[in-house]
Amino acid sequence: MNTRPDPDKLLALVTADEGRLARGSLKIFFGSSAGVGKTYAMLAEAQRLKDDRDILIGVIEHHGRAETKALTEGLPVLPLLEIDHRGVKVHEFDLDAALARKPALILMDEFAHTNAPGSRHPKRWQDVEELLDSGIDVYTTLNVQHLESVNDQVARLTGVWVRETVPDSVFDEATDIALIDIPSDELLKRLADGKVYVAEGANTRAAENFFKKTNLGHLRELALRRTAERVDAQNDQLSAALGHNEAALSEKVLVLVGPDSFSARLIRHTRRMAGRAKIPWTALYLQTDRHELLDQKARLRVEHNLRLAERMGAQVVRINGAHAATAIITYAMANGFTRVVVGNRKAPFWQRWGKSLSQKLIERGDGLEITTLSADYATSEIAESSRPRLTTPLIVPLVSYAYAALIVAGVTAAGYPLRGITDPDNLALFYLTGVVLVAARFGIGPALLASVISIPAFNFFFTVPYYTFNFYDAHYYFTFAFMLVTSLIVGSLTARLSLHARIARKSERETRLLYDLTRGLSSVRGYAAMADVASRHLGSALNAGVRLWVSEDKTLTAFPDAPVDIKESGAVQWVSINGQIAGRGTDTLPSARGLYLPLMAENKTLGVLGLTPQDDRTFTGADILVFETIASLIASALQRAQRADEAEKSRIDTENEKLRNVLLASLSHDLRTPLTVMNNSVSTLLKQRKKLPREAVDELTGLWGQMQRLQKFVTNLLKMAAITSGQLKLNFEPYLIQEIIGAAIARVEPQKERRQIRTQINGRIPLVMIDGALIEQVLLNLLENAFTHTTANGVIMISVENDADRVRVRVSDDGEGLKPGEEDQIFEKFHTHQAEKSDRAPSGTGLGLAICRGIVQAHGGMIYAKNNPAKEGKAAGASFIFTLPVAKDQAKEL
Amino acid sequence: MTASILIIEDETEIRRFLRATLNANGFTPLEAETAHEGLQKLIAQRPDVIILDLGLPDQDGQDFIRDVREWSQVPIIVVSAREQEADKVLALENGADDYLTKPFAAGELLARIKVALRHAQRLESGGGHTYDYDGLSIDLSARRVTLDGGDVHLTPIEYKLLSVLARNAGKVLTHAYLLKAIWGRHSTEQNHYLRIHTQHLREKLVDDPLAPRFIITEPGIGYRLKA
Repeated sequence: MNTRPDPDKLLALVTADEGRLARGSLKIFFGSSAGVGKTYAMLAEAQRLKDDRDILIGVIEHHGRAETKALTEGLPVLPLLEIDHRGVKVHEFDLDAALARKPALILMDEFAHTNAPGSRHPKRWQDVEELLDSGIDVYTTLNVQHLESVNDQVARLTGVWVRETVPDSVFDEATDIALIDIPSDELLKRLADGKVYVAEGANTRAAENFFKKTNLGHLRELALRRTAERVDAQNDQLSAALGHNEAALSEKVLVLVGPDSFSARLIRHTRRMAGRAKIPWTALYLQTDRHELLDQKARLRVEHNLRLAERMGAQVVRINGAHAATAIITYAMANGFTRVVVGNRKAPFWQRWGKSLSQKLIERGDGLEITTLSADYATSEIAESSRPRLTTPLIVPLVSYAYAALIVAGVTAAGYPLRGITDPDNLALFYLTGVVLVAARFGIGPALLASVISIPAFNFFFTVPYYTFNFYDAHYYFTFAFMLVTSLIVGSLTARLSLHARIARKSERETRLLYDLTRGLSSVRGYAAMADVASRHLGSALNAGVRLWVSEDKTLTAFPDAPVDIKESGAVQWVSINGQIAGRGTDTLPSARGLYLPLMAENKTLGVLGLTPQDDRTFTGADILVFETIASLIASALQRAQRADEAEKSRIDTENEKLRNVLLASLSHDLRTPLTVMNNSVSTLLKQRKKLPREAVDELTGLWGQMQRLQKFVTNLLKMAAITSGQLKLNFEPYLIQEIIGAAIARVEPQKERRQIRTQINGRIPLVMIDGALIEQVLLNLLENAFTHTTANGVIMISVENDADRVRVRVSDDGEGLKPGEEDQIFEKFHTHQAEKSDRAPSGTGLGLAICRGIVQAHGGMIYAKNNPAKEGKAAGASFIFTLPVAKDQAKEL
Repeated sequence: MTASILIIEDETEIRRFLRATLNANGFTPLEAETAHEGLQKLIAQRPDVIILDLGLPDQDGQDFIRDVREWSQVPIIVVSAREQEADKVLALENGADDYLTKPFAAGELLARIKVALRHAQRLESGGGHTYDYDGLSIDLSARRVTLDGGDVHLTPIEYKLLSVLARNAGKVLTHAYLLKAIWGRHSTEQNHYLRIHTQHLREKLVDDPLAPRFIITEPGIGYRLKA
């Protein structure tokens, strides 16, 4: 046997642990019954932790006990939400407030509590799930009788049926279970002292019954055993991962689930059995022809049972098959099941012909262990397990029976002229035809009626003596008998065939619907068109209003767009955020009018599909299954559309970028070439100024100045175009900022005239990660800006200092300074200094500082301007300051 | 004998003014309108320097540089309206000696031509074993560096950096070129080291990066030793 640790499984355990960490941990204070001190223990622990953690009381039921109440001192309490339910004010836990407040740990008493109608979730444990999902740790309390898997046992032990249950999976997945246990005698004493809270208005006799010593003992045993099982389960996970495979792993149990509440008991039984022996188990629902005949209630119960099994940790499987025993055995063998659990229901005597399913399974299940559980009608709740009612064969509208009679009458009328011409036996075949017709059209019940009334009709009209129920010929005994038997057989076969045909048609319709939807979706473009296709295809088929919400950049857009009431849009939001189904027919926001399904693809919620039925029907689990298929189809179509959009967008972007680059390159070429020529022509001419008249020299000097200005403007314009088009590609390299400053100072040498540029480096400056050429441009622009705002004898100071992970560069001048409120405007495009609006101004294209801002921002830095503190009441110039990111890898000293 | 300069440029007006400028400064201008014509004149007339416009009608200037460098070491000065630093770096890495962005002043072009010619002469004479500029002398054969008469002690890497710069004095060397010359082929990503060593070298040469005496920073491109 391979005993090497399986690294994948260990990893799965570890990642499951990590998921749990991110998810918030759940600690359950678990006890055998009320009064053992769970709430007390929870509060006591919270008191111990309160100095280190942000603890919030979500709900605490202290039932007026002073010692418990005292323990809430010093813990902040979340105000309860007041819900108005049909004029009655109910107080409930405020989930949204808790999520918004986001404490580290929240205390939620009474895990199994059922929320007031109109709350988001019907059950408190679902609220807790949502809290955990958002990373909040939760402490809660739970009594053993509220656990789903032991629910029926408790009921049989104590006679009290507990309706508030918590799925076992939640219990098993809790991070921590603290078992709070006190001896039964002590509990009884506390009860006698009035220290145990018994629900108001609760049936006191039931309570007395519940708190009997024998019961308490049973409950304690259950609680202890369930806790132990959980510890076992965790050990098993670990030992399985470590390679200590237990023999149990080769065993598998299959439980057969039907449309009755007895199945729920089968499921609980199997869960206990499988749980104790640590065996994986599967709940199977066999869809035979009968499934189509089940009424709505029975179908709902099937879904209910399957969901119950799922919650208790079973795998759920549905298979189709005509012959129950064969189908079940084939499935069980093929999938390696070792044991099948089947219920044996006491059938009414008229149905006791033939063998029961369990008998057939025992006979044919070669090598399978068949466990049969007999229905037990002792407990009232189980007795209520109304057997599933079949809609057909017999329960069809009364009018169908009338039609059956009418057809028999019609056959009689049609045969009447032939009486005496042909042998009466041939006319018997006429009636058979009538029965087939009835069976095909109206099903087995009316066919039975037609068969039965055909005999007297035949006798009355076609056998001698006519118009009496007598006959002379003895062979008519046989004729009647054959006629009845044949018509019954033919009638039932035909009815069954036509039922099959109907089922086939229905599943074909479903397939057709999905196929049409897929084709329709793939043939259109755009969300609106998709929503249109979806509502056209689904709306009429499902008799429901269909609507699509597409989420983009965290906002939801509805198609078609029409107002929805606040409750519905709340449901849509919730579905979109949580990626889970909600609304009518589900556990979340069940009072919403519509059903909302997330459109998920690759774990992302792309949108929400909303279905609002035109009538008042609720959706069943089977409906929801179909809807989920539809939702996944729409989701994949949406994803395709989004991908196509993205590809198209990036294609256009690339094209645009190419075009822009070509445009910029040719523009810069076309503008610069003539400028170069003109510039050099003028300077060549100016070199010969001695030969030229004075006016010509003046004009040429003016021309030269204007050309310099034009040149600068063109350069800036092209730079600005590159920056604003967002196509500025930064070539980040590490630099010593002093190098860039030195290069910039050298470059402005010809323009600075008599101005002085001083530098000051404060402390050790780390390398900065920048595009050297662009930062040089920033410095050039700032220096040129300083030149325009200082006199020819001005002093400009460039200083650098290090500030944590930034390097700050400051260029200050001693000019006239900024006007109030101008500090931000100057970085706007085409903003020029008010005073500079004269034609003679050598600079002021209004782009220099905007370019600076563009470049610095592209580096993730900041740039701003401010006036220097005034000296002796006079303006002391302005400072322009920008920050640059420090290179992460400083390559320290080598 | 005057140096001959081959102008490869498709703009007539630019050619005209370059011709005038070169004539006025004692050079012999040769002209070509296309890359093809330029190549023919380069083979037939052996100019001393090429002035090349990157935007030629029949071939991309970058390709032209690569083609020429396969068989000729003639100095190439690129003149282009393309202002992207990436274009400059590419041209230099392909083997161009210098790069001027339009619009440029005639004086600047002449200065670059002179540097290029000096560099070419040094290579041809097989000499170039010494570098002398503003008090800094480097004797490449003796591996000796003196500053204002005093010996400067450099680490091997600092010396290598300085000697590479000195051999190409006046010419811009790209970061990639320097990294490859000093550390070999596979270290072109380690710009950090180049900065740090340059900084140390500057400290020893009393060369303030804010007002460099010897080593000029060409932001976005590389370094150049004054010549």
